[in-house]
Amino acid sequence: MLSVDRESILEVLMSLIIAFAVGTVVLVVLGYDPIRVYSILFKYGYGNTDYLLKKSTPLLLTGLAFSVPAIAGVFNIGGESQLYVGAITALLVAHYTGSAIPAVIIGTAAGALLGLTIAALRVYRNINEVITAIMLNWTFFYFIAYLVSAKYANPKVPHESVPVPPGARIGGIFFIAVLTALTYYYVLHFTEIGYKMRVSGVSPQSARYAGFSPEKMVLTSMLLGGAAAGLGGALLVLGATYTIDTTLSAIYGIGFTGIGIGLLGRNNPVGIIFSSLFMSGLIIGGQWVELKTGAPPELADTLIGVIVIALAVPYAYRLLMKKVGQRGSAA
Amino acid sequence: MRKGGIALALIGLVVMAMASGCIGGESEKEKVKVAVLFDVGGRGDLSFNDMAYLGAERAKEELGVEVEYMTPKSSEDMVPLLKQLAESKEYDLLVLIGFLWTTPLDQVADQYPDQKFVLIDSTTGKTRENELDILFREQEAAALIGVIASGMAYELGGDTIGAVAGMDIPPLWKFHIGYLFGAKYFEMKTGKPVKMIWQYTGTFGDTQVGYNTGMQLLQQNVKVIYGLAGLTHVGMFDAVIDWNEQGKGQAFAVGQDASQEWYAPKYIPISGSKRVDTAVYDAIKMVVDGNWKGGIMTLGLKENGVGYWDLDGVRQFAEFAKEAGKLKDMTPDDVVNIVKEQREKYIKPEVWEIVKELETKIKNGEIVFKTPQSHDEYEQIINELQKGNLNAALEKGSVS
Repeated sequence: MLSVDRESILEVLMSLIIAFAVGTVVLVVLGYDPIRVYSILFKYGYGNTDYLLKKSTPLLLTGLAFSVPAIAGVFNIGGESQLYVGAITALLVAHYTGSAIPAVIIGTAAGALLGLTIAALRVYRNINEVITAIMLNWTFFYFIAYLVSAKYANPKVPHESVPVPPGARIGGIFFIAVLTALTYYYVLHFTEIGYKMRVSGVSPQSARYAGFSPEKMVLTSMLLGGAAAGLGGALLVLGATYTIDTTLSAIYGIGFTGIGIGLLGRNNPVGIIFSSLFMSGLIIGGQWVELKTGAPPELADTLIGVIVIALAVPYAYRLLMKKVGQRGSAA
Repeated sequence: MRKGGIALALIGLVVMAMASGCIGGESEKEKVKVAVLFDVGGRGDLSFNDMAYLGAERAKEELGVEVEYMTPKSSEDMVPLLKQLAESKEYDLLVLIGFLWTTPLDQVADQYPDQKFVLIDSTTGKTRENELDILFREQEAAALIGVIASGMAYELGGDTIGAVAGMDIPPLWKFHIGYLFGAKYFEMKTGKPVKMIWQYTGTFGDTQVGYNTGMQLLQQNVKVIYGLAGLTHVGMFDAVIDWNEQGKGQAFAVGQDASQEWYAPKYIPISGSKRVDTAVYDAIKMVVDGNWKGGIMTLGLKENGVGYWDLDGVRQFAEFAKEAGKLKDMTPDDVVNIVKEQREKYIKPEVWEIVKELETKIKNGEIVFKTPQSHDEYEQIINELQKGNLNAALEKGSVS
């Protein structure tokens, strides 16, 4: 199962072809010129490097937040709230200290802590991590909306939180994200703990038989995943938006998109670097498709949906089959 | 797995290369070209964004301009999009809808002195030659609604009007002053006393809070409730509907910004208007006519920037609602007919007379409302109005 080189290239290439073919059919049926739509999508989506890298950063990190736990066999749908807490704590730390480094560290820690909480509830109380995570997503959504509009509103711009002070704003956030991905790749594939995580994900029984606890790996992977999402939130606020608006439009949805990006990157940190760039380009380009062709924004969303599904489904399907197969053999 | 990573990396590169290979060019410049940039969420809100669309479409038809639309995915996208659009030099005007654009515009405007921007219903607080901020004189609409609401309250057998307001922020202060002024003006003209209960909810997005606040007001014998809280006051609409249909009494609601009569035409006979469409159209016209001027512009009754919706407006929004699948068991015609009937029944000619008279005074510039600069000033104006001193709300002119 680990020999994925040629097969996985073939699979991705096939998926790409199918994705664009289906997209073309959709476009033709709806009466749009597919060549024009695709050329706008790609020209504008990948034409503005600075924009593309900034947009990719939090998505890359929420991609990791999904995939690292997934490797250890946990479904982390809480990248959303882990990113929220990273963003708000980083914003507040930057606001009070005026410097970026403590903001990044505390933002990351906040995300990690939230990830760990979800994992702890599963390991020690046997509470399904998906349910906990979904509930926490909304809890933190409203809690942060409250903080931003009632406690930390910018007196000059009432629909925004206090801004990140100029001294704490940072550039090059994408490279921090890439560095994180490479570190995670190293940890997963070249360290003992990474090996244990992967074994626990493939077969918890084997892990136990080999003398280490898969539960501990659940905790570790969620800690690492949550940290990535928290870092994503911190970098987003410190390097791109500098504030959170009261509608939370800047931070909402990034965690959910991260799930698609993780699957698209085949749960491989290096793959996720590229899948986050690929997705961000599509999202950016989609906005220009509306502008240039007059198509409703839902068209671009549909197209992106088709592409992502075609690319992610074969992999998700295999993951699922493996899980089912495992249950079967365990029983 | 390690090889797999490299393989994936290669595929990624191929995709990137494919993408950048698609770069082509397309630009021509004759007609005035405008890009309308919606709020996050975009069209289908039956309010701000749809009104902006209406205004731009009207400009397209009447002024022969070319219009393109864009919906940003989040506030994170606003700065890079603005920069890229300005750099393309393709658009004579960029129209920005809604307050989320305020800070992004403030960050970008100075870098592109040749790009004209218009910001609707918000201001960066700075004056720039290439930036026009369009605001509304909400007091003027609220004053007319105050008169109409008072008249309806008497028709419904009461003497109390109310409002479910969002947050205690400057735009709402303006509504409060106007609405109370209207009620007191009615009192002065007819000799019938009017009580007004103003309730801040602290939120624009919570229908449940709106429902509860609406119920509270109704239990205090409020007969007409003005909705000034965005989504929150849709909850108030539901409270008014329930109140009527559960036979607890008769009461009406009044909408604001877009025409909201379609939501329950029997119980929402009228809405105050904030004509985002007019603002968008006027800004485009300035560019077409070549009389652009940066700064802040306010639109009131005179410029048809605020007021109340006529039946054509009611029909337009009923059609939007139908398109969005929100108009149940009714056609737009039904909505218009019911609204027409209710208005004839509950807004008497003598009330319209007072409305028209006040409207004329405002349009002539005979009276001009104050815009409070601080919370203290706002409270002071409200206190004076409560005592019946109408002139305390006026910057210019007087009424008697």
